[in-house]
Amino acid sequence: MLISALGLGGHHLGQAADEKTAKQIIAAAVDGGITFFDNCWEYHLGKTEDWMGAALKGKRDRVFLMTKVCTHGRDKDLALRMLEESLRRLQTDHLDLWQIHGVGFDNDPALFIRPNGAAEALALAKKQGKVRFTGFTGHKNPKVHLAMLDTNFPFDAVQMPLNPFDASFRSFEKAGLPELVRRGIAPLGMKPLNGGGDAVKKGLVSAEEMLRYAMSLPVACTITGMEKPEIVEQNLKIAQKFQPMTPVEMDSLRSRCRSVAADGRFELYKVSLKYDNPEARMAHGFPIDPQQMEVKEMIRATDNTGKPFPSYQ
Amino acid sequence: MQNPNQPSRRMFLQSAAAAGATPDVTQRNTQHVEPPVSQMGKRPLGKTGLEVSILGLGGFHLGATKDQEEATRIVHGALDAGINFFDSAWEYQDGESEARLGRALEGRRKEALLMTKVCTHGRKKRVAMQMLEESLGRLKTDHLDVWQIHEVVYENDPEMIFGPDGAAEALLQAKKEGKVRFVGFTGHKDPSFHLKVLSLGFPFDTVQLPLNPFDATFRSFESQVLPELRRQGIAALGMKSLGGSGEMVKSGAVTVEEALRYSMSLPVACTISGIDSLEVLEQNLKIALNFKPMSEAERQALATRCTEYAADGRLELFKTTTQYDGKVGREQHGYPAAEKLPA
Repeated sequence: MLISALGLGGHHLGQAADEKTAKQIIAAAVDGGITFFDNCWEYHLGKTEDWMGAALKGKRDRVFLMTKVCTHGRDKDLALRMLEESLRRLQTDHLDLWQIHGVGFDNDPALFIRPNGAAEALALAKKQGKVRFTGFTGHKNPKVHLAMLDTNFPFDAVQMPLNPFDASFRSFEKAGLPELVRRGIAPLGMKPLNGGGDAVKKGLVSAEEMLRYAMSLPVACTITGMEKPEIVEQNLKIAQKFQPMTPVEMDSLRSRCRSVAADGRFELYKVSLKYDNPEARMAHGFPIDPQQMEVKEMIRATDNTGKPFPSYQ
Repeated sequence: MQNPNQPSRRMFLQSAAAAGATPDVTQRNTQHVEPPVSQMGKRPLGKTGLEVSILGLGGFHLGATKDQEEATRIVHGALDAGINFFDSAWEYQDGESEARLGRALEGRRKEALLMTKVCTHGRKKRVAMQMLEESLGRLKTDHLDVWQIHEVVYENDPEMIFGPDGAAEALLQAKKEGKVRFVGFTGHKDPSFHLKVLSLGFPFDTVQLPLNPFDATFRSFESQVLPELRRQGIAALGMKSLGGSGEMVKSGAVTVEEALRYSMSLPVACTISGIDSLEVLEQNLKIALNFKPMSEAERQALATRCTEYAADGRLELFKTTTQYDGKVGREQHGYPAAEKLPA
């Protein structure tokens, strides 16, 4: 399988101004040569899958479509129900890649592989031809990724945060990536700009440096969020003229980031619950955050606005 | 007129019922070697030569009491019952915790072993020494019995504390000047941070750490740090016996008595407990005054019972979220404030 070096992240797609903008973003991405599309059952309560499904109408066979399942430790049956919902929203009869979403709590690997756990759903969906490949994602701790690999489930892909800050703090690059390469599993990079671009906004690094760094690692694809057509253009420019950084360049960028990387302030997904969706928090009995986008959406979901996705703002 | 400093029988019973505490009467009757009820157990504070009560009064909750009068009643009630260890921190409630403790101890300072914590969170010795003067002023005393570095909870804290001109130098200087008798550090995040600090050969007298039946099987301070403290002869001060804000009890997983007894049964000098009302004081005093250590088998059985919920850290939010990381530390480490990053 060949996929584009740059992938379009699903969470940011749901933050586009409206469905029309989301369609523009996807059209621009496909036209620019992006073939890898990321999504997730729980992003914006299904909105991103809905929008992506609508936007990919007539283009489905030109893309490699991935979405994620959000059992967060719960049973196989729930995973299979989520798969049916994802397929319906994405308007397709199969996924190219189906991944376990947000593996981050210490007991997630054990819950995944237990009898009647989500591992059985991945295997079954693959056997039924509803998904071609399987994998898992997580942004918390490389140790948890390694524990997932140690379940010996035959994963095809694994997604993880990779950026120059990660290199000096609980590093997926150092602890996870070499193991994936060794096992022949496709590494998918995410959060090349730290998940929200804070370091870019603060002027510490440029978006181009960050993206180039992530794309220069031994990954199959770097998934990045693009919630505006301008960002698609900007990223396509970087990708189209992409020259890998030299090891010396990479090392110098890592060194520049090191002092502020050391306490995780730019990687809040590793040190806090900020990036853990309410589905994950509730399944694990952690508190939800009323300020979190998905929680606001949940609270507003029952509003009778006549629209399927009430605005959360 | 009843002395407000003496626990009242009525409240005693109420709080015991509210806490779901069920004293095991049969067991008590067969234990004739028990010290008489109403005597607080004491233990040596490491190698300091001091004796400390098995229960200590936590400063954060004291600062969260409804007013000074309530805080004073709690401190006096604790002293009257034999508690002699008092915890606070420069940053708790922006100094109000220290101020309340200082006012409450006026005239009774000599009965107390007074500890507070310095909150440089990576800043230099000079800042630490300034904080010390402020703490002494608020606590209305000319010396501390124990001064600890607060919240070693960020991965790079150890190197910053021990960097050139760091807070560790302030501990030594304050000790030399006689402003503090003993020194230590605290943290609630990760046993590996504690071990890192303990590997540097600094002469700590005390170390504070979370200890409870959930910690036993999850990123465990009990199994990783306690043995090292014992090896170095450093006094262990337990904290967060109920999860930090009673999460373990509210979830229904354990009773107050089970969790407190578990923590107090470990090889610690003192278990520091947050007490923000007279009701909680009486509830916890009752457990401490009747304390009989759990056997190792009992402790293991309780830890095993807690394993399932311990496994993802949901009841130890101080380890798994930013919820318990203070404002000053967040500022120094460039983290968002609690309003923006509640957990």
